[in-house]
Parts: sequence; C-alpha cells; structure tokens
Amino acid sequence: MIRLDNVTKLYAKSSRPALDDVTVFVEKGEFVFFIGSSGSGKSTFIRMLLKEEPPTRGRIVVAGRDFSKLSRWKVPQLRRSIGCVFQDFKLLPNKTVAENVGYALEVIGKPQHTIVKVVPEVLDLVGLDGKANRMPHELSGGEQQRVALARAFVNRPLVLLADEPTGNLDPDTSIEIMRLLDRINRTGTTVVMATHDATIVNSMRRRVVELDNGRIVRDQARGVYG
Amino acid sequence: MRVNYVLSGVTSGLRRNISMSVAIVLTTAISLALLGSGLILIHKVDKMKTAFYFRVEVSIYLTDRVTQAQRDDLRQRLEQDPLVKSVTYESKAEAYKRFREQFKDSPDLVNNTSPTALPESFRVKLKDPSKYALAAEKYKAANGVYDVIDQRKILGPLFSIIGGIQLMAVAIAVVVLIAAVLLIGNTIQVAAFNRRREIEIMKLVGASNWYVQLPFVLEALVAGATGAALAVAMLVGGKVAFADGKLSRLFTLANVPKISYGDIFWPVAPQLLLIAAALSAVTAWVTLRFYVRL
Repeated sequence: MIRLDNVTKLYAKSSRPALDDVTVFVEKGEFVFFIGSSGSGKSTFIRMLLKEEPPTRGRIVVAGRDFSKLSRWKVPQLRRSIGCVFQDFKLLPNKTVAENVGYALEVIGKPQHTIVKVVPEVLDLVGLDGKANRMPHELSGGEQQRVALARAFVNRPLVLLADEPTGNLDPDTSIEIMRLLDRINRTGTTVVMATHDATIVNSMRRRVVELDNGRIVRDQARGVYG
Repeated sequence: MRVNYVLSGVTSGLRRNISMSVAIVLTTAISLALLGSGLILIHKVDKMKTAFYFRVEVSIYLTDRVTQAQRDDLRQRLEQDPLVKSVTYESKAEAYKRFREQFKDSPDLVNNTSPTALPESFRVKLKDPSKYALAAEKYKAANGVYDVIDQRKILGPLFSIIGGIQLMAVAIAVVVLIAAVLLIGNTIQVAAFNRRREIEIMKLVGASNWYVQLPFVLEALVAGATGAALAVAMLVGGKVAFADGKLSRLFTLANVPKISYGDIFWPVAPQLLLIAAALSAVTAWVTLRFYVRL
C-alpha cells in the first residue's frame, strides 16, 4: 500500500536531510506507528505521502501510484484515496459538524443525496450521532478529533494518515481516539500514525518504525515505544 | 451544488474585499478607457486614411490671371499625361460652394471668405499616388499655374498629431493596466489568504485544482469585466462631453469625421471586454499557480 525506496529529502536551508535514505514498506490493512522525537522526520514523512513535497531522491508509491509518474493534476485523485487527521483537527469554525464532514464530499463533486446519506453513517461510526448540528467550538477536543476522523474516513480511503492525532488530548480521550483508529483499521484501511506518545504505542502493540535524524533506526512488529 | 459553491465563493470574495474590488474595477476601467480611445482613434484614422487616399488628388491651383488658352493647354497636357488617371476642373464658384459645404458649421469663417478668394484648380488623380513629386515638377512651372499641392501633404501633420495622441493614450493605458494587473494579483493573494482553511481542507481531501481555483479566477473575471463595462461607459461619456461638446468645432475644423456610438460599440467595446477578461483571468490563475501555489 505504501512503499518508499531510498527516499531522501533535503530542505534548501538545512544541511541535514529531513529524511535520509528511508526504505519502508507498509502492507495493505496494516497499522503502523512512526515514532521519534520532534525533528526526527515524522511530519516530513506524512507530508511526502500526501505528495505535498517531492522527495530529493528515491521513489514513493502510495495506493499503486508512483509519485514520480504522477502529474500535478492527478494529485487530487491520489488524495481522494488518502484520509488525513492532524494534531490541530483543522475543522472549519463556521460550519457545523455535519457540514464539516460533508464538505470533504462536496468539494470532490459528490451529489447532495449521497452526502445526506453517508454523513450520518460516519458520524454514527465515530460516536457523534446527535451532535451533527453543533459547531466545532461547542465540542471538546476529543469530539473535535472525532469530527476530523469522520471527515478523513467519510470517503472510505485506502490509507489513513494521522499526524500526532492525540497531541492535544488528555490520556483518556487519547485512548478513545485510538480505539476509533483501531476500528477504522479493522475495516481494512491502512493506518499510519506519527506520534511520540509512549503510553499509546505501548498499549496498542502494533508495528513500530522509529525515526532518528531522518533515518530508520528500528522497525519492529508488535513493538513498544522503547 | 457546484454552481452554488462557486457563486457563493465569488460574491463573498468580492464583498469581503470591497475596497480592493473597487480599486480593481476603477484602475481597469481607466486603463481600458484610455486604451479604448486609442483604439477608436486607430480605427478612425485607418478609415480616414483609406477614404482620403482613395480619393487623394493633386491640386493644380491656377493664378487669378490665367487665360483660357493656358487653361485649355494645361488640360490637354494633363489628359495626355501617362501619369494621370483622371482630371477634373473646379472653377472659383465651385471651389467656394465646396468650401461653404465643408465649413457649414463655422459660419464666421464662411462669412469672412469672399466668393472669389478661392482659386480655380485642376484636380488630378494619379495612377500611382506616390509619383506625386514627378507630377508636381512637371506642372509647377507651367504658364498660369500658381501652385501644385498634394493633399497627402496637408493631411500628413494631422495624421501625425492623431498618431501622437494615440501613442500617448496607449502608453498611459499600458502603465495603468500594469497597476490593474498588480492589484488583481494582490487581491487574489488576500482572498486566498482569507480562505486558507477551506483551501487547505479542499486540497487535503482531493478537490480538483480547477474546483479550488475557479472561484478566485471568476472573482477576478467579474471585477475585470465590470471594469471593462465602466470603461465603455466612460468612452460614451467622453464622446458626449468632448467629441460632441466642447471639442466638436475642432473635429469640424480638422475635417475629422465625428465619433459615432458605432465606433465605440463595435469593435472597440468587445475588444476591451476581451482584454479585461483575458488579463484578469490569466493574472488570477498565474497568481494562484505560482504565488499561492494552490
């Protein structure tokens, strides 16, 4: 589902590469943690998978699409098969919960009748039934992240990328979010999560890839934070 | 749904940025009005030139004391000249009649001119108008000839003045147009910044590029087209206030045909609209593509 071959990413203003000769393969339906301290290259890794930035060297293939052969106007198609959540939720403050989730379908041209049908289903899945008409500021952090997850999942992506999704949440709420990610993973969606939350990694016992200074220093099935 | 989204994007963009939108509309309008007046002049002068050159004549003015024999002799020589296409004779009375007709809007001038003041002349059309100098040389020294004048020489300075005005209008238009383009670019950047959250989400979930860009491009297009419409209104206002008003005497004196509404509405108005539309849409797209990096 995700394949990186000898990927190096150099930023113009930095002498040290953000990713240094990274080779990794993620199977369809896998759940992988990418761990490491700040600046280890986790976020760069996520951004590269979204084709927000090209690699300096190396090859990236996500959902069967080789990035080097993917023209600019086909990037949207790629992103439709990838869902994304972030530490800061990225909800639109002037839209209701349902509108925020529906927005992801609306802007890729899905018809209104599909949106009306699909949005309540996914809100139900993330445990937000009954809060469809709330505004984001009326919700707790955990609930906001659920909305973000619902939005990321509403188009049934092949891959779900989560960049520090529990970074702004307390431990109990974090565990709820992890349960939800686990549930999404069980539907067959590949989940890649960047985090530095040791408790969560240790409690999940999934594959762990550790990055340090842009290099992979550990790749362990059913691993712990270390 | 899509249309709805696009339209709401356009109107909210224009409203949110009202002062910038007004600035765009005004600068576009001013530059296009200048460009438009330049274009009208170009079309006008082109028409005038063809009209004049088509009936361009070499006038051989005769002296007041010319004799009938000299007249007949000259006519015969002209009619046999291989350079000459046709010859017509204009008597003093005919010249005066034509003069009165030409300057009927300037009664003072007509009243102060005596019917005998204008010389009689042969109006000669040449087979090749560029051979004027040759013809002039031939007849200048003939008996009874006062002077030989090529009408193109009279029109020359007029055309060069009009050409100068044209050039000035177009030069100012280009400068103001650059300002308009920069304003459009800036406004698009501000608009994109205002909607950065939506844009970020749209890009993340895979909205197509045109879907993200279209509202901005349309916003610029609407502003540009409004500017073009205003420019046409300015041209109409300019025609009524100046060409038909204070400056109408000048047009008559210079023997320039009046500017009609037709001159403004076809083909200048559509040209302006096209320029405005193309320029604003392209500017918006380039800004989004290379500066905002959508």
